[in-house]
Amino acid sequence: MLRNDQNDLLTQTGPGTPMGRMFRSYWIPALLADELPENDCPPVRVKLLSERLLAFRDTEGRYGLIDEFCAHRGVSLWFGRNEECGLRCVYHGWKYDVTGQCIEVPSEPDESGFSRKIKLQSYPLVERGGILWTYMGPPEAQPPLPEWEFITVPRSQTFTTKRVQETNWLQAMEGGIDSSHVSFLHRGDLNSDPLFKGAKGNQYNLNDARPVFEVVESAGGLHIGARRNAEAGHYYWRITQWVMPSFTMIPPRGNHAVHGHFWIPIDDENCWTWSYDYHPTRDLTHAELAAMRDGKGIHVKYVPGTFRPLANKDNDYLIDRAAQKAGRTFSGVEGIAMQDASLQESMGPIVDRTKENLVSTDNGIIMARHRLLRAVKALTDKGVVPPGVDAAHQKVRSAALVLPPDVPFTEGAREALIARPAVAPASV
Amino acid sequence: MLSESARMSSAAEARFRVQAPNSMPRTIKVIALDGAAEAVVRRLAGGGWQHATFFTATTPPDALCDLAGRRTAVRDEVDAADLVVLVAGPGGHAHAAAAIGQACSLRRVMTTGFVVGVTSAPEHEVSSTLAQLRPWSLMIVIASHDEFIDDMMTALRA
Repeated sequence: MLRNDQNDLLTQTGPGTPMGRMFRSYWIPALLADELPENDCPPVRVKLLSERLLAFRDTEGRYGLIDEFCAHRGVSLWFGRNEECGLRCVYHGWKYDVTGQCIEVPSEPDESGFSRKIKLQSYPLVERGGILWTYMGPPEAQPPLPEWEFITVPRSQTFTTKRVQETNWLQAMEGGIDSSHVSFLHRGDLNSDPLFKGAKGNQYNLNDARPVFEVVESAGGLHIGARRNAEAGHYYWRITQWVMPSFTMIPPRGNHAVHGHFWIPIDDENCWTWSYDYHPTRDLTHAELAAMRDGKGIHVKYVPGTFRPLANKDNDYLIDRAAQKAGRTFSGVEGIAMQDASLQESMGPIVDRTKENLVSTDNGIIMARHRLLRAVKALTDKGVVPPGVDAAHQKVRSAALVLPPDVPFTEGAREALIARPAVAPASV
Repeated sequence: MLSESARMSSAAEARFRVQAPNSMPRTIKVIALDGAAEAVVRRLAGGGWQHATFFTATTPPDALCDLAGRRTAVRDEVDAADLVVLVAGPGGHAHAAAAIGQACSLRRVMTTGFVVGVTSAPEHEVSSTLAQLRPWSLMIVIASHDEFIDDMMTALRA
């Protein structure tokens, strides 16, 4: 459980909030590069950390992320004309560049310099790995660009999607580090999903539904190790990475792509779930890409033209009670992503953590909250840069491996937990 | 018309969640297995917990001492526990883990191993403690700040 004040502290990320300040210490994914496919293409509404923004790509290919609303009368610039290196409000013709600087106010004489006195809030927007990243903190504290391995490998080796999740970011993220739910909620998918099936490690999972957990602090967050019995007294370890505030990497299976998530607040009651798949040493195959686009693995099918999952709360997640009864899926909801999201959304937009009854196997969640609270306090009280900002904290990998019983995973997987170019992931 | 799922997961509907208590208190026994852990457990014991009691391991290993020095049988304490937290420092001095862990295993009582004081400890010393705890712990936590144990106890409603 958390006290109410702690729950509020961690779940509120708008401007001026402590957790909002923390999120504004990082480069965070804002939108897919494909959403702004060409110069002068239509702008895209982006809501992040409870701020309504507008992304656009100007005539020279520069990206901008600015306040959505015209400084004149508060009209949405989404209706604007993206032309000649700027976005022009269609109401009275005020025009802005990618920095939010107003560069033209047709009703005022050019010589008056009036336009120079108008500037919308703006944030940098930079393409890395097919994703447009933004930094919403103070310019003087802007960190180096993100170095997550999935955005630094060649584009042919990586694939990312995003979907709207109708919950606060924290309960979505906590699902990502809650390793003990996998043996139940997702048990039907290990042997059927094309992005998981066939790995030897799956059998260890299915043969031992009561793993033993070890939670170890890392420089950037946590290593969450799940230990199951393997042959000859050895242990099968699955080690999840959590890097603050909301990056997770799921342990790989066989030679399948490695995957994980970012959970980024849209506002306090909605978040973006970013889902990536990549392989450090090989291209993703056509079959893998087709499966990902078809919503397999950790991805989803969409309501056409949106990032809203096709199975959503408005259609009861297309729950199939017959499939549930027959054991084809444990919950009746199809697909790992929506199996998680359906349950997390059922908790309400912001779950009341004063009511929960955590148990010992929830220590990963307890530790993550502890680290977040500590980091927020250090940032607020002393201006300490939070873990996860440092690029070294981002160059990490999850791992799945079999170790002798007397070898701690922190030793046996030491090298495997670091991202190294052209080195294959540790996977079983 | 909204689906059941859409309507019931709204913030407005959260007001109608049943407010009656949904759990009974759980009894937690926190046991320091060595000297480094004892200091942490003594500090922790001052936290005004409602459902946790605190002990140190002793010899023979089938006995414990409470923080006032009174001896008690491991078996009796484990019988009354919902969760046993084994606390140990680096260096491999957690010899009592086996006897306590066996008692927990026999009675199917959940165990959590907690390694304290790891920040400045050599890795091999942490490993030697882990080797003692691992066979008897269903969850192991290695935190760089000993205060995490306070948060864990709060989260578990101790």
